[in-house]
Amino acid sequence: MENEKLVDLAKKVSKNRDEGAFSDLFDFFAPKINAYYLKNNLSFEQSEELTQEVLSVIWTKADLFNPQRSKFITWVFTIARNKKIDLHRKNKNRKAEDEDVRLYLYQNNKITDYEVQSSIDKIKQELDENQQKLIKMSFFEQKSHKIIAQELEIPIGTVKSRIRSTLNKMQKFLS
Amino acid sequence: MNTSSQKNELIFGYSSGSLGEAKSLLVSTYLYLNTFASKKASIFNNILAENFANIKDVAPKKINFKDCFYTTKASIKESSTLTNSEINPLTNIIGSFDKINWKSVFKGFKEFTLPLNDDDTIKLIKMDPGTSVPLHSHNGKEYILVVDGSFYDEHGEYKKGDLQINDQRIKHHPTACDKDGCICLSITENEVVFFGKFASLLNLVTFVKSFFK
Repeated sequence: MENEKLVDLAKKVSKNRDEGAFSDLFDFFAPKINAYYLKNNLSFEQSEELTQEVLSVIWTKADLFNPQRSKFITWVFTIARNKKIDLHRKNKNRKAEDEDVRLYLYQNNKITDYEVQSSIDKIKQELDENQQKLIKMSFFEQKSHKIIAQELEIPIGTVKSRIRSTLNKMQKFLS
Repeated sequence: MNTSSQKNELIFGYSSGSLGEAKSLLVSTYLYLNTFASKKASIFNNILAENFANIKDVAPKKINFKDCFYTTKASIKESSTLTNSEINPLTNIIGSFDKINWKSVFKGFKEFTLPLNDDDTIKLIKMDPGTSVPLHSHNGKEYILVVDGSFYDEHGEYKKGDLQINDQRIKHHPTACDKDGCICLSITENEVVFFGKFASLLNLVTFVKSFFK
């Protein structure tokens, strides 16, 4: 779904409490959020529970989304990521008052997505398919170098050096 | 020395949510102080969000959209991460630098260990103007973020908002600049290894200290 359409649905949710619009957002996002958690090795139960929490945040907090700052999908991804961090923190038996700490550790970036769009396009253009795949496996799916080496059937040293050279290559397009 | 890939790896780790609390605090302070780093984080976040947009869908089986209307669990606290906030994460956690209970390590060099719950230890280090740390290297990685003042070593000068990442290949001899001295956030993954005149004594102290961690 295009960003424009998603933003429109989000507005209907925040301004009119439009359940039909929310149902559309649910149908679009729930399978992505759920898949993201499963890819990050959460159980089926945990994935669905967190998916529901993320969508509840969208339902209650859609008014905090600012279309001038980011695309809607980036905003949703950030919420999903934060919920995953909170889950890991909970698993480490933290005290309830500790939960505030995460908010300081992951506050919103002052740079808007639109300021960096040209760098993003350039990186997408310049990285080949294998390099994009390595970035995806390593950072989006959070696979260890060892697992990546097994899945791609290449030595672990090659995985490390390819990731390093990909990150170096990206540096050129970051300024 | 090429640490741009190490810095990018660290920021990517932050964007993906894989770092522990100590490194997350280091990076969020880095982003707060350094616009270029902040830009990188924004770029990486978008790259991850594009992966998210293109993921192969797996529909949840047990929940439907109406369940989301009644969940109270959806934390109200999220507000500050969902809007734009420009608060210094470091002072938010420890308060003002003036009120820190510094522990003196040697003349001109003080430290304070931050109360985070993590395997990595994160410290604030305060060096008076002109104070040096003897030549040393590291068994693991060392991350040094300048949060006030500046320091220099064999590799250059580091000012407020600069991050230095050192690994075992790097030997250095940092000195706080004459004018303001230096306050840094630092994470050392493994023991420091000293070289030079008093090296054996300093290494013995480090070894003994490691038992009390």
